[in-house]
Amino acid sequence: MLEITELATAYGKIEALKGVSLSAQAGEVTCLLGPNGAGKSTLMLTLAGILKPQRGSVKFEGEELVGKTPAQIVERGMALVPENRLVFPALTVRENLMAGAYKRRDMAGIRSDIDAMFGRFPRLKERTDQLAGTLSGGEQQMLAVARALMSRPRLLLMDEPSVGLAPLVVAEIFSIIRQLHAEGVSIFLVEQNAHMALKVAQHFYLMEQGRVSFSGSPGELADDDVIQRAYLGQKRAA
Amino acid sequence: MSGAAAAYAVGLASDMAIMSMLALSAYLMLLVGRVSFGQQAFFGLGAYASGVMSVMFQAPLGLALAAGAAFGALCSWLLALPTLRLSGLHYAVATLAFGEMARIALGWWHWQRPGDDGPVGPAGIEGFRDIRWLLENDVSPAGYLGLTLLVLLCVLAVLMRAERLRLGVGLRMIGQDDTLAAAQGIAVNRLRLFAAALAGGLAALGGGMYAHRTTYIEPAVFDPMLGVHAVGYALLGGLGTALGPLLGVMLDLGLLDASRLLPGWRMVIFGGLVALFLRWRPRGLLDEALVHRIATAWPRRGHHPVVPDRKE
Amino acid sequence: MTDWLQTTIDGLLDGGSYAIVGLGLSLMFGSLRRLNLAYGATAMLAAYLGAWLHARHHAPVWLVAVTVVASATVIGWYVERLCFAGTRDDAAQPRGAPIAGADGREVVALASSFAIWMQLEQLAVNLLPRHLNAFPSLAASGDWALGELLIRPDRLLVALLAAGLVLGLAAWLERSRAGLAWRAAADHRSAAHLSGMPVARLQTAAFSVACALSGVAAFAVLSLDGQVTPMFGMWVLLKGLVAAMLGGLGSVRGVLWGGLLLGVVEAHAQSLFGAQGREFATYALLFVVLVAPWRRGERGALSGGLRA
Repeated sequence: MLEITELATAYGKIEALKGVSLSAQAGEVTCLLGPNGAGKSTLMLTLAGILKPQRGSVKFEGEELVGKTPAQIVERGMALVPENRLVFPALTVRENLMAGAYKRRDMAGIRSDIDAMFGRFPRLKERTDQLAGTLSGGEQQMLAVARALMSRPRLLLMDEPSVGLAPLVVAEIFSIIRQLHAEGVSIFLVEQNAHMALKVAQHFYLMEQGRVSFSGSPGELADDDVIQRAYLGQKRAA
Repeated sequence: MSGAAAAYAVGLASDMAIMSMLALSAYLMLLVGRVSFGQQAFFGLGAYASGVMSVMFQAPLGLALAAGAAFGALCSWLLALPTLRLSGLHYAVATLAFGEMARIALGWWHWQRPGDDGPVGPAGIEGFRDIRWLLENDVSPAGYLGLTLLVLLCVLAVLMRAERLRLGVGLRMIGQDDTLAAAQGIAVNRLRLFAAALAGGLAALGGGMYAHRTTYIEPAVFDPMLGVHAVGYALLGGLGTALGPLLGVMLDLGLLDASRLLPGWRMVIFGGLVALFLRWRPRGLLDEALVHRIATAWPRRGHHPVVPDRKE
Repeated sequence: MTDWLQTTIDGLLDGGSYAIVGLGLSLMFGSLRRLNLAYGATAMLAAYLGAWLHARHHAPVWLVAVTVVASATVIGWYVERLCFAGTRDDAAQPRGAPIAGADGREVVALASSFAIWMQLEQLAVNLLPRHLNAFPSLAASGDWALGELLIRPDRLLVALLAAGLVLGLAAWLERSRAGLAWRAAADHRSAAHLSGMPVARLQTAAFSVACALSGVAAFAVLSLDGQVTPMFGMWVLLKGLVAAMLGGLGSVRGVLWGGLLLGVVEAHAQSLFGAQGREFATYALLFVVLVAPWRRGERGALSGGLRA
């Protein structure tokens, strides 16, 4: 579904992505692991069209996305839930959801989707007319996911959805990811929390210093000693 | 050069020197990261203060100018106390408001004393006439030009020397990122207040020189446009060195105005230039990068760069 | 007592002018988080074009009105391209340091807009060099009497127009999808991008509407006086700025309250201290509002964006 080839993005003279190649299959949860500074967020921002790559290609369902504006990319069916949530703090929860549906014209569909979101995220329903800036971290994360879903994306990009959240909330977020996967939404997930990611993803990539250094199934990831020590701690006994 | 042309040149040079003081005042505030649209108020306050000193108190010129400068520095410091904590935008508008309040207040001030040819002293809206110290003491325009240039040179020497010291570097650091500067242990608020006081003093000194040159001042002269021009000179000429504002003044007063090039289009060109520069060269002509390049290309014995050269 | 009421009423009516003048500025600020100092000069140049048409070509009033509004919009487009388009933080990629610091880009836009202010004012003065220039006058000849109080009907009309525009725009911002998009783009640019909003186009649209509003304001206010002078640019900027700031920059309804408050304070200051006192009161009010201690939390963080 998503085919990234030799993608390179730089900040001025500093190359954050040095030629990244990976792919995400439709209907799967694909997870990208990696330490801070590896370039994961840069990759996500490039995919969403906010950063312009120096070279490389991003093919989504066969169509080249490099060079398109973020608005066009959302139109094509790919939506990003960015790091740090990014809700509209001065708009209410309901308005945030409406904003997520900006590209859509079908008012009836939008309204029923909003009801569906409230069904999926009951805590948001309680706060329909509350300003998003006053929500807790976990609620903002849910709102950010809901907002992205309002555009009915076929591929959902999620950049570190668990960062800065309490463990209970993190568990909630991941169960939502599992739900979405069960409903057929493809997800490309960037995470530092490898433990939780192991439970939901079908395929893993590891990114270090701007390059992909590992590609494999959850089993292969769990079997790899180096990765074990670096990202999963010494949890596994032999 | 004919007599008239020479007189014109002397007058122009004096104007440029005086305007440079105001431009340097705006430059100092820009260094610490603030756009001030109120420097013309200190220019005016200094003009009135030194005029009062030399006319009403019969003080010698040097004392009058110094008193004016001190007064300007004090006023600027007082203004800075509540305003420097405002964000750049609110600060700019607050200084604009203050500038206008000062101008209106000067228009209210009447203080007249009997003089040789009628009453002397500030007369509100009608201004302050007969600031005639130079004429009474037989100082020629050329002589005054010499004095103005001397003062300007001293100011420049002090400013450029301070650049190489921790003081100058500290001021620039505050302008770049005051949170980072504070984290480095720089007393951000105190230094900013100091910069504001110094800026006010410079503007007031320029105002004093202006008052004695023209012998007549009125509040209407000290309007926001004057302050806006000063900021424009600093921005265009460059923020990398104290010579930058001078370059800006020379470009406007010297090139555009004096050459009578396209009269009536001076502001259109000047304004357009400043806007274009801000788009593509935001630190002006003599920006830090250029100054650094000139400084390193110039072989100097005992040249100790304050910031070590870094390879990119 | 009647005097006091009369002064207050006069102040309220003047306040209507201030509100209509400040509406565009507040809208611009709310949308872009940048203060456009060329706002007054834009309105002035547009007004001068209208005055020129009126004086040299005897254009009918409706044509002058259309010209003023249209040229304000076009000039505004020029200002936007030159001063504000480049300072948007669309690209997450860092630019070379402008006037640096946390407010860096905001200050650059401020500075370049004042440069254009100088430019536009000069252009206007080149067009009509005289101090007093005739402008089509729609002033009423008599006053309406309300008991012992007098109300100028033309001023009342302008005040009602101001209220109508403010409340209409506020309602549109709150209720329509496009209005939501304007508010969203102003609130958080990155989130707006990710929701598929064409942020740059939305901001340009808001800017253009704001400039058109400044043209409407200029026409309305000048038709009361029947003349325009070179001081008009500064007047528009300062009155508009104070009205907008009093009500909270970026708040559409706020500019109505701010304008009315300014009008009333000025009217009473004038009756107490004369014309100079009135001027002084304007700036003193602005200064106090800016420096007031309850605004502590606003260092750098520009409040709110665009609010209805």
